[in-house]
Order: sequence, then C-alpha cells, then structure tokens
Amino acid sequence: MSAAAPAPGPKEFDRPRFLRVFTALFFVFLFAPIALVALFSFNSTRSLQNFKGFSFQWYERFFENESLRDSLIASLQIAFVTMVVATALGTLLAFGLVRARTRWAGSANVLMLIPLVTPEIVAAVSALILFTQIGMQLSLATVMIAHITFSISYVTVVIRARLAAVNPEVEQAALDLGATRWGTLRLVTLPELFPAILASALLIFALSFDDFVISFFTTGESPQPLPVRIYSAIRFGVTPTINAIGTLMLAFSAFLIGLAIVMPRLLGRRESGLGVLIGRDTA
Amino acid sequence: MTDAGEAIRFERVTKRFGGTVAVDGLDISIRQGEFFSLLGPSGCGKTTTLRMVAGFEQPSEGRIFLEGEPVETVPPYHRNVNTVFQSYALFEHLDVSENVAFGLKRRKVDGDEVRRRVKEALELVQLTGREHSKPRELSGGQKQRVALARALVNKPAVLLLDEPLGALDLKLRKQMQVELKGIQREVGITFLYVTHDQEEALAMSDRIAVMDAGEVQQCGTPEEVYERPEGTFVAGFIGISNLLPGPDGSQISVRPEKIWLGELQDGMTVYNGKVVERVYVGTTTQVIVELDSGVRLVALEQNTARARSDDRWEIGDRVRLGWHPEHALVLR
Repeated sequence: MSAAAPAPGPKEFDRPRFLRVFTALFFVFLFAPIALVALFSFNSTRSLQNFKGFSFQWYERFFENESLRDSLIASLQIAFVTMVVATALGTLLAFGLVRARTRWAGSANVLMLIPLVTPEIVAAVSALILFTQIGMQLSLATVMIAHITFSISYVTVVIRARLAAVNPEVEQAALDLGATRWGTLRLVTLPELFPAILASALLIFALSFDDFVISFFTTGESPQPLPVRIYSAIRFGVTPTINAIGTLMLAFSAFLIGLAIVMPRLLGRRESGLGVLIGRDTA
Repeated sequence: MTDAGEAIRFERVTKRFGGTVAVDGLDISIRQGEFFSLLGPSGCGKTTTLRMVAGFEQPSEGRIFLEGEPVETVPPYHRNVNTVFQSYALFEHLDVSENVAFGLKRRKVDGDEVRRRVKEALELVQLTGREHSKPRELSGGQKQRVALARALVNKPAVLLLDEPLGALDLKLRKQMQVELKGIQREVGITFLYVTHDQEEALAMSDRIAVMDAGEVQQCGTPEEVYERPEGTFVAGFIGISNLLPGPDGSQISVRPEKIWLGELQDGMTVYNGKVVERVYVGTTTQVIVELDSGVRLVALEQNTARARSDDRWEIGDRVRLGWHPEHALVLR
C-alpha cells in the first residue's frame, strides 16, 4: 500500500448526480418492455403475465406456421431488394446533387428532403392510389416499389454528407497517377464512401423490414409482409408466438447493427458504419 | 547527356475564371533537371499555373508544351507529370506501399518491378519499415514523404509540388527543404515548385519566377531576384526592402544588411535619423531608424559574440547611417 493519499481527481461539479439516475431510468424504460417480450417468448405456457418455465414451443409454432414463415420470407425479400435498389439509386442521386454544376441542384436538394418529412400514411395512400390508377395488381412488387421510393432519400442524405467531405485533391491524385475517371471512382471515391454506403444499406434494410404503414396499404393478399401478418394475427389474440417473432426480429436487427460496426473495422477502416449514421466520423 | 533540353514551355498562357484573370500571358521555359519555383502571394496565379500543367485546368489562351509536345488534348491521367498536393491527398484506405504502387499499377507495370521500385522509392524518402502503415498512423512529415514517394516512383518528366511543406512546422519544414533539394539532385527530375514562402524558394531553387496578379514580375536565379529585384513588388516581396523616394518618381531600394550604422566609410550615401524601435529576432536585431524626412528604414545589428549590451543603438539615439551606392537599386 502506498502511503501517499490518492491525488484528488477533477471535481465533478459540472456533472450532477441526477443525470446518472435520469440516464439509468431512460434505459430501463427503453429496454424493460423489450426484455419482457423476449422473456415471455420462452414461456412454457400461454400466459404473458406469469413465467412458468422455459421452452422453445413458441419458436416451434412459428416455424411450423406456413403462412407466418412465408411472410417472414416475403419481408426478407422486400427488405433485400429495397436495400440493393435504394442504395444504388440513392448513391447516384447523391453524386448528382453534390457534383452536378447546375442551378437546379439547390432545389433538388430541398425536394429530396420531402419524402423524409412526409407523413408515412400520406406516402402510403398516395402509393396505393397510384398503383390502382395505373391498374397495377397489388403484390410484393408494389410493396418493394413503394419502399424503394421512400428509402432513396435516407441513402442520399447519408451519402451526400460523406461525398461532400471527400477531399477533391484525393480524386485528382488518382487522375494524376494515371487512373481514368472510372478507375478513380472505383479505386478511390467508392472506397472512401464505403462506410457510408454500408451504413445506409443496413439502415434501409432495417427500415424496410419492419415497415408497417406503407406495407399495409400496398401489399396484396398473400403472402403479406411480416408486420402486416402480425397485425392480422393479434386481432385474434396475442400469443407468445408473436413474442418469438419479435425476439427473432430483434436478434436479427442487433446482428445487422453489429455488422455495421464490425465490417468497416474488419476492412481496416477508421470509422464504423454506425459512426457514420449517428454523425460521429471517427469511432 | 550534357544537352539539357526543355521540360516545360508556357507560351502566352492566360487563364480566366469568369471575369477574373488568374494567369495573364505567361511565358516561361523550364529546363530539364531544373528546380524551378513559382513564388508569389496567394491569388497570384501560381497554383493555377501548376494545375494547368497537371491537366486539372485548361488554359483560356496560349499553349503549354511538355518535353516539346503540346498537352492541351492530353487528359491528366496520360500526362507524364505527377503532383505532390498541399493536403498530401493520400488514399486513406490503402497502406503506404499500396499508395506508392498506385501509379505503377495503373500503368500495368509488372508485379516484381512494382515491388522493387516501391522499395527504392521508400528508401529514397527514408520510410523503409512503414510499408504497411495506414496514412492515419503517420505524422505530417511522414505523410509528406509518402506523397513524394508516390509521385517520384513513376519517374515523371516533371514533378509538380503545390506548397508541399505548407502544413509542417518550421523546424521540419527547414529539414524537408534540405532533403527535397537533395532528393531532386539525386533523381534528376525537373521540379516545378509552388510556394508563397520566399525563404523556401531562395533556399531550394535553381530559378524563381516571382508572380503577382497573374503575371511574372521577374524570373531569375535566387541571387538575381534578391540582389537585383526588378520593380518594387519583387523588392518588397523577397526579403525586407527599404524603399526611399528617388529622382523622377522612381524608388530606391536598399537591403537592411547593406546599411551601415554609425561608423561610415568614404563614398557612402549618408542620412541622419533617430532610432525609433528595436526588434530582437535572435541572430540579429532589427534597428528601425526614422530619417529626418520621415521615411523609416530597417537596419540590422549582428548579435555576435563581440556585441556588448552597452555598445548598441537604443531607442531615441540620433544616428548617422549610410550605404555604398552600388547597394542602392533604382526601381521604376
């Protein structure tokens, strides 16, 4: 034991103790309901109040239920197609908005934000009206088109910020060293944007996968996207099968977030995809 | 090869951006193997000139020849020049050796040769051992060296350097000046160097073009532009210049180190004045003297071992000063 008294640390007068309590309460309110959903998905009885014992029966029920399983597959298909198409189109739009030297760029930048502030119900109803007007049969395809439409803006917002921050001298250096314009895009610009592209792709997957409002209005009869299918199911009573689905979706989302954090690091990047999303460039 | 050919020639090159003229009728010829600097304040057109050679800007008028060939139709990626950028512009997602190999790979140089030349280039800039570091792990000086190696490894006809030492601290900048000059001598490549730092230009260049407002004010060796400035701009921009009104609206320029204080010699031009300020700058002290005509001149007092604190000019002292007439330049 050292005889010297420990040096007094910096006084914490600028960090009141109630903030800790406040933060703790915030996390309890945030996570307690989720934790309960997960807990009762493993209940051995039908009850959502008393935990009687541990079992996987609600997970088994879910996988045995063909219609629920089809809905899960449909939702994964929708989310995947939406992710790929919206990320590609949104990235192209970001290039256009940042790089095009036109006086319309300013207006286009504002117009692009409209889908972000439009109430989802308005977007959903207008998509439905459009599809019926042009005589398009409602199906998974119409859901995908509607999802892609509302997702592009999210991608563009994330990528545009990143693209504007790319040092023009870095691209000039590539040209200077003998890379063509296409080579510069492929070898320098896209790798610089990679964390932002990955982050927006995962964001779009998550948004599309659990979207209810737009899916509800634009889907056909069968199979329905999972959130719509769950909504129909709970009208006949909530069973722990719903909890099981919720827990699986939660685990899957956590997996995606983990992926967004780990992927750029695995590829030797400074920043994580999540850092890009929450506006923290150097994680 | 004793016959040094021409590396770059500018013929009446003018560049306009909208209504503003950035470069105005530039006529310069740069010899092969020369260390040539474009020196001037910001906005004088020196960087625009460099970017026209690199191919990032096109001249509005006039032509640029690279090794005798006109380059206006050649895109940047086919020009036999490489650039060291002010911001270094390293590829952050690639490591040091991948950065240096970038240009060779674009030119489809074969793998063994790429490895050999990258190794050589890193030896040249003393970065052996840092091959697999990412740019973010390097200091400013090291990034600078990677940028230099990445450009030099391609053995360009001309290396373009855009204020490459601007972001470094003073000590490192001085050290890199010496190193850059040594590297240039070793590789024998023509350097076209852009800077606003007159000391840097004087220390490194074979020749300097002093630019202002898009025009070359004077082009010559460091000694020529320092000792015999043509015009008040060059005299004022390079070093400290004392300007006095001369005959017929001309101005007379005298360098501070040419001014004698107190003990004068025969045949000197002599003035009387009063010491109004002393500015201690280390090896010397600048003694500012106000002449009876009201003009202020800067003279230097050496802080040598012989100098004593009781034997110096203090503020308020009356002083006689003078210079040999050959050290006074008449500028028109």
